[in-house]
Amino acid sequence: MNQQELRRKRLEDEMQQHIDLETQENIDSGMSPLEARQAAMRKFGSAPQAGDQSREAWGWLWPERLWQDIRFALRSFRKDAGFTVVALLSLMLGVGASIALFSVVYGVLIDPYPYAKPDKIWAPAVLGPNDAVRGWHWYTQRELTEIQKLPAFADTMATSVKPVMMTGGINPENFYGVFLTGGAFNFLDVKPLVGRTIQPFDIGPGGEPAPVVVLSYGYWQRFFSGDPHAIGRTITLDDVPHTIIGVMPPRFGWWTNESFWLPLRMDPKDPTGLAVIVRLAPGVTQHAAEQQLNQLNIRFAAERPNDYPKGTLRTILLNYMDITVASGDMSQSLHLLLAAVGLLLLIACVNVANLQLARTTGRAREIAMRLAIGAGRGRLVRQLLTESVLLSVVGGALGVLFALGATRLIVVLIPPDYVPNEARITINGYVLLFSLVVSMLTGILFGLAPALRSSRPNLVDTLKDGGGGATGTLRGGAMRSWLVVAEISLSVILLAGASLAVRGFMQVQNTDPGFQPEKVLRIDVTLAPKRYPTWQQRNTLDRSLLESVTNLPGVQAAEIGNEGLPYSGFRSPFTIAGQPRTDGRQVELALVSSRYPQTLGIPLNRGREFTEAEIESGMRVALINESAARLWPAGQDPIGRAMQIDGLTQAADDPQVLPAPGVAASVTIVGVIGDIKNDGLGGAVFPAVYLPYTMFAPPQRELAVRTTGDPLALVNAVRLKARDLDKDLAVGKPETLNERLSQETQQPRFFMALFSAFAGLGLALAAIGIYSVISYNVTQRVQEIGVRMALGAKRGDILKLILLIVAKFASLGLAVGLVGSLLIERLVRFQMFTKTSFGAAPLAVIVLLLAAVAMLAAWLPAARAGNLDPVTALRHEA
Amino acid sequence: MESQLELLQGTLDLLILQTVAFGPAHGHAIARIIQQRSEEVLQVGHGSLYPALQRLLKQGLIVAEDGLSENNRKARFYRLTAKGRKKLTAETSKWERFSSAIARMLAPLPDQNS
Repeated sequence: MNQQELRRKRLEDEMQQHIDLETQENIDSGMSPLEARQAAMRKFGSAPQAGDQSREAWGWLWPERLWQDIRFALRSFRKDAGFTVVALLSLMLGVGASIALFSVVYGVLIDPYPYAKPDKIWAPAVLGPNDAVRGWHWYTQRELTEIQKLPAFADTMATSVKPVMMTGGINPENFYGVFLTGGAFNFLDVKPLVGRTIQPFDIGPGGEPAPVVVLSYGYWQRFFSGDPHAIGRTITLDDVPHTIIGVMPPRFGWWTNESFWLPLRMDPKDPTGLAVIVRLAPGVTQHAAEQQLNQLNIRFAAERPNDYPKGTLRTILLNYMDITVASGDMSQSLHLLLAAVGLLLLIACVNVANLQLARTTGRAREIAMRLAIGAGRGRLVRQLLTESVLLSVVGGALGVLFALGATRLIVVLIPPDYVPNEARITINGYVLLFSLVVSMLTGILFGLAPALRSSRPNLVDTLKDGGGGATGTLRGGAMRSWLVVAEISLSVILLAGASLAVRGFMQVQNTDPGFQPEKVLRIDVTLAPKRYPTWQQRNTLDRSLLESVTNLPGVQAAEIGNEGLPYSGFRSPFTIAGQPRTDGRQVELALVSSRYPQTLGIPLNRGREFTEAEIESGMRVALINESAARLWPAGQDPIGRAMQIDGLTQAADDPQVLPAPGVAASVTIVGVIGDIKNDGLGGAVFPAVYLPYTMFAPPQRELAVRTTGDPLALVNAVRLKARDLDKDLAVGKPETLNERLSQETQQPRFFMALFSAFAGLGLALAAIGIYSVISYNVTQRVQEIGVRMALGAKRGDILKLILLIVAKFASLGLAVGLVGSLLIERLVRFQMFTKTSFGAAPLAVIVLLLAAVAMLAAWLPAARAGNLDPVTALRHEA
Repeated sequence: MESQLELLQGTLDLLILQTVAFGPAHGHAIARIIQQRSEEVLQVGHGSLYPALQRLLKQGLIVAEDGLSENNRKARFYRLTAKGRKKLTAETSKWERFSSAIARMLAPLPDQNS
């Protein structure tokens, strides 16, 4: 810069001196000083221009030129305020919506985890010959030690989740504690916020875990208000004081973001299932690792046949990035929304291109004039490109502002159950880079075409002709009409997609869940396992609780059990007596009490309910749903028949779950109740078997209460009853069944809301675009209209003329859009969770809507044209 | 129009090189020399001399050095470099063929003597 200034100064001095010398010579030859100076300057010519050209020789000029171009661009934008506003609005909405959605995709799908190299974490799944992948496999501790020895794995860790009772506070509370192997935190490699994480030395040589706990950020905030001095204090978990050694940052949610992590007791005899994840040793391929693990699994299956699929085993390593809660519905929705936002952006781009084209065409005379007085083509293209890029950069910046708000809105709307705990949806550097690239590309691509086109006009024609006029041959006119066609067809596709989303949501919303969710409260109750060591003691407590809750005023019916309430469920293989065993078939198991059907409002279709005596002793009887009843051949009444349920003997192995005396796999069916949508509202009903809850006595139960009034008003009464029985009984997570049910619809609702919003924006942008192009075209044809009217055309004829042209392009756009939507529907349908198709009615509405928009956009300028005074129109020069 | 400009530009460059081949000269002197020799033929605006000088400087055909002008003021003197001399020789033969065709139609140019 200094160097440049210096050169500039020197050059100015030199030129000044030149003029001085010339002046002196002129004086010497007898001129007056004033005359001499004027003559010298005349001879020299334009000093600033000479300066400019001299500097240009060194290439010093481009920043100045750029600034000049920008100032010129700003001036010309100010002159075309309407154009500028529409273009900026289009870019803001198009780019803004893309940024917002890309932030979500980035946070949820691309980078959801804080863990070190999450794409290098693998979870094993063990499958039978015909099984589809359903999730990862649960190993025992003894198996874990074998897996750790495999050379294919560089590192392994295991997780197990168990209910943990926290006492010593105001109320006892039940948490799901996450138990980890000693190296787990090092495996995940996330630094604690305060203190330290669990280390291998926290588990003693005999497998004894040290009484230490690492808190989640949520727990720390809730119970310690974020006090860093919480480190070193103790909390009582399952009657044992645990020392707090660390707190994890908010973005750490390994299996929980509201409880805590504890070292796992290493005991080879512990049968509790462990979720194992691994990192591969350097140079080991996924395939080789799967092979090694499969050999091991075959051995394990021989020792523990009940917990492994039958037949030839296959082992698959699932990449951790592919098994987040967002995979499946959320991932599909986001991909479709990304496509929708892409269409929206495309519409915005078409708008901008359209406007740029219209504007440069309108400026044809200006451009021709500048070319005629010697502007270089390159210089002119640079000027036009500067305008486009300036426009897109400002539009992009506005887009970022819009995205800030939109992202916040999406975060509020996004269903939390479908997003990993750790995901953070923010506008970060990558997202901004993305938006910068998108807006610059938009500017350059959609600015360059009109720029190149307009810099090559036939100067003579353009200058002679009034910029169009009676000939009606408009440069870019055809291209603009095609852009209108594109805009209409893109809108049709976007709206058709939105209609699909809305239908999908309505379908789910209107699905009969099979039970009556109104006025039902559900609540968790957990007893301290050590204080109730026998099956009998636990059942007595459960029964007293159920009785006292049933007798509360305002209670119609109450029920206690496990897994019986919608959208939970434990699945087990089974065999029907008299039928060959089929691998891979499962039933859903639930433990319920006698008033279960009444509490949930499920009809008893055949047979009978459980008797008090059956409940009392945990007898091996069962209710099944209609779907389960169909497992028997038609005409065969399942009532009175027996089935074997593998899960019953498995559950009896769990030391936490105390089985009733004489529990075995075989149960007798006594009744058939109605189907409830137990596998999600969109899915098919899963066969279900309901058993007396007393068959097992786990520490935790779920209580459901049908009330006459507001169900949540009963929460305190239930708490008091529980406290009367035992002050250490933990009562938590009250919720109405309606709330539960609405969680089922939140994913389609989210999808519908966003898709409709994008489609709405797209429609608005397309409407603006169509309007501006058509009205511009009419303005360009004013002279032609004048001639027509002078020759006797009526107002109606002019209207008809314009409307006909628009109708031609609009119907072409609609046709292309419809064909496009049908093609896309075919592609999308099989992966769309809603499984709906368009149906004629919504498509008809969309076509009418867009036709109306196009006609309205044409009507206003056409009506204006019809009102023109022929004389004015003839004189008009566009 | 552009090709004409190109020609003029090349011509001016050549004239400057030719002028400073006699010895170092400052801008005004160069303009005066060209003017004196070709006044009626080449209407060279004095201003356009400077862009041409900068161009030649950048190409390394001439160098600038500080000196004193005839009225004892500091001035920039331009001198031909070896590269410039080579370029001048090369361009001259090219130019001669070209100019011989035009020379008859224009006022006589000074003899080429380098």
